[in-house]
Amino acid sequence: MSKKQKQRIAAYGLVLPAFLIVMLTVAYPIVSAVIQSFQDEKTGEFTWDNYTYFFTEPNQLKNILYTLMVVVLTVVIAIVVAYLLALYLRFTKSKIAKTIGTLYLLPRFVPAMCAVYAMITIIRDSGLINRIGLLFGHDIHLGMMYHASGIITMNLWFNIPFAALMITAGLGAIPDSIIEGARDVGAGKLKVLTSMIFPLSAKDVVVASTFVFMSNVGSFTTPYLMGGNHPKMLGIALFDQFNKYLKYNRSAALSVIMFLICSVSAFVYIYTNLKEKDWEK
Amino acid sequence: MKKFLALMLALCMVFALAACGEAQTAQKEEAAAGGKTVVTLWATGSDNVRQIFETLTADFNASNDQYEVKLQFMLSGTGTQSLADMLTAASRAKQTNTDYDLVDFSGDDWSKVVSLIGEEQFVKLDGAQMPNAASVAAKSSVSPEYCQPYRGTTVILAYDSAAVPTPPATMDELVQWMKDHPGRFAYNQPGTGGAGDSFARSAVYNFLPEEAFTSDDEKWTAEWDQGFDFLKEIHPYMYTSGGSIVYPAKNQGTLDLLNQGEIDMCPNWADMVLSQRAKGEIKDTIKITQIQPALTGSLQTLAIPTFGSHTEGAYAFINYMLSPRAQEIMVRDMAAIPLIDASTMDMTGYEDLQGLDVSAFRIQSIGGLSTNFNERWDNEIATLG
Repeated sequence: MSKKQKQRIAAYGLVLPAFLIVMLTVAYPIVSAVIQSFQDEKTGEFTWDNYTYFFTEPNQLKNILYTLMVVVLTVVIAIVVAYLLALYLRFTKSKIAKTIGTLYLLPRFVPAMCAVYAMITIIRDSGLINRIGLLFGHDIHLGMMYHASGIITMNLWFNIPFAALMITAGLGAIPDSIIEGARDVGAGKLKVLTSMIFPLSAKDVVVASTFVFMSNVGSFTTPYLMGGNHPKMLGIALFDQFNKYLKYNRSAALSVIMFLICSVSAFVYIYTNLKEKDWEK
Repeated sequence: MKKFLALMLALCMVFALAACGEAQTAQKEEAAAGGKTVVTLWATGSDNVRQIFETLTADFNASNDQYEVKLQFMLSGTGTQSLADMLTAASRAKQTNTDYDLVDFSGDDWSKVVSLIGEEQFVKLDGAQMPNAASVAAKSSVSPEYCQPYRGTTVILAYDSAAVPTPPATMDELVQWMKDHPGRFAYNQPGTGGAGDSFARSAVYNFLPEEAFTSDDEKWTAEWDQGFDFLKEIHPYMYTSGGSIVYPAKNQGTLDLLNQGEIDMCPNWADMVLSQRAKGEIKDTIKITQIQPALTGSLQTLAIPTFGSHTEGAYAFINYMLSPRAQEIMVRDMAAIPLIDASTMDMTGYEDLQGLDVSAFRIQSIGGLSTNFNERWDNEIATLG
């Protein structure tokens, strides 16, 4: 056996474990789920029924729209807040800014389950806010538990630090010299923001949005513990189909639907990544 | 490429050999009896059940010099072959002298196994071999002569005695109370916890003949309408949050609401409420009561398969489980309802258990119909908003 062949075998050997694991745990389940989603529950014959069910049944359609509403609101609010935070961290050099710059990542290190329960004890109708209100003679009922507003609040808690982290990195890559240059030729603060900083950080905003979007479409813990009974987010609707009603073919169809929703955002992500930065041309 | 394939094959063989090795050592372990006869006890359930069985077998083994009970525990919900299926397989394969010496059954599993393989696959129990059983009045509703109940648990109505001085005694009184106090009652979504299942199913099956509640015959689903209308009727009086009616997820979901004072009453498991109260996790003012017709409960039983190997050792362990000492351990560690006279036991903190009459236990087992039930509930009740 030549040296080259040996090297080739070694190379295959190194890649093989990862390749097999990906095939077994990612590729195979996806393929079999797609096949199953087109099969009839009893006969196993080809059918569109599993898909039409989710788009014609009013309750299921509401679940899809509700999920999109919650996720889009989460993305918009998280990105706006994170952008403002990132701007502040990038352009303010005070002690407070430094402290915030260290602290804002903290939520990433709190386990999701703890965070959700912590949020519940604060916002529930008999929670911390209600108790503080009672001290001043007001019986405050936020009504955020088992409601979209509670889920969105919790999502923001998870996603703002993440989005801010990505956008801060993007803003950090804008050299001070460009901004100073613009200021030298007479550009005002607003002009610098709209003509320089926005376009230069647009890509990071898009990437952060896609990540926030994808991670929330299939979220489970938060809506399970904080969501109402109807409409439900898709993660819960999927759990119901699979675990409660034992409708495996419908579960497969819903998984594919969720996968397609996510892939819209994945497409945006890949497209932006392939595009060169305007000023790098 | 050939070499590569050969390498893969070799790897596969190594794994296969390793698996064989494991099986062999397992057999060797069983052979080592340490002078005592090894009796294997099979049980299934959630982790607290495993813990209690570990405590009980250790206690038994320390005090008994003839038998050594070895626990084989199958954690429920892990997707592996269920204990009921394993027994069925062993029985149908006509195996004898297996290590299924003694098996622990929930009410549901017991009726399932009896319907699958028949009661004659179990030893008809002889009272003389387990003297402690004489004081146990509770009987299984299915094949009572072939299994020995040793503890009970039931869904009850948990209420905050500070807000509700006299709890309702019947379903009608409960409904009247709900109407007088809108928003102060909740039951958890069926399918997310046994308490909500029990409440919703009892409410529906109260309109059906009693035999329906232990049947998985599809024909009964046609008679659910009246019950679901009843659930719709009480729907507006349930707990409200964020402007709509809410059925929390999980048994703990409603219990938390009760503990926080957001509701005053909810169905829950007796053992769950009492053990949390004893640990100080929920308020002392939370008490339990049963309504009529009762919410459902179940008896946990032990049975001896005829295809096991150590019948006498199995009897010895059953007898131990019905001793005041073992019963007290089960009261303390899992707030189980004792089935023997509790007057000789220390029931401090668990006095409420003595008020629960195990002989009036209402049993439900609707088998696969529960799936249809949950789906219908989700589509008709949860969507009312």
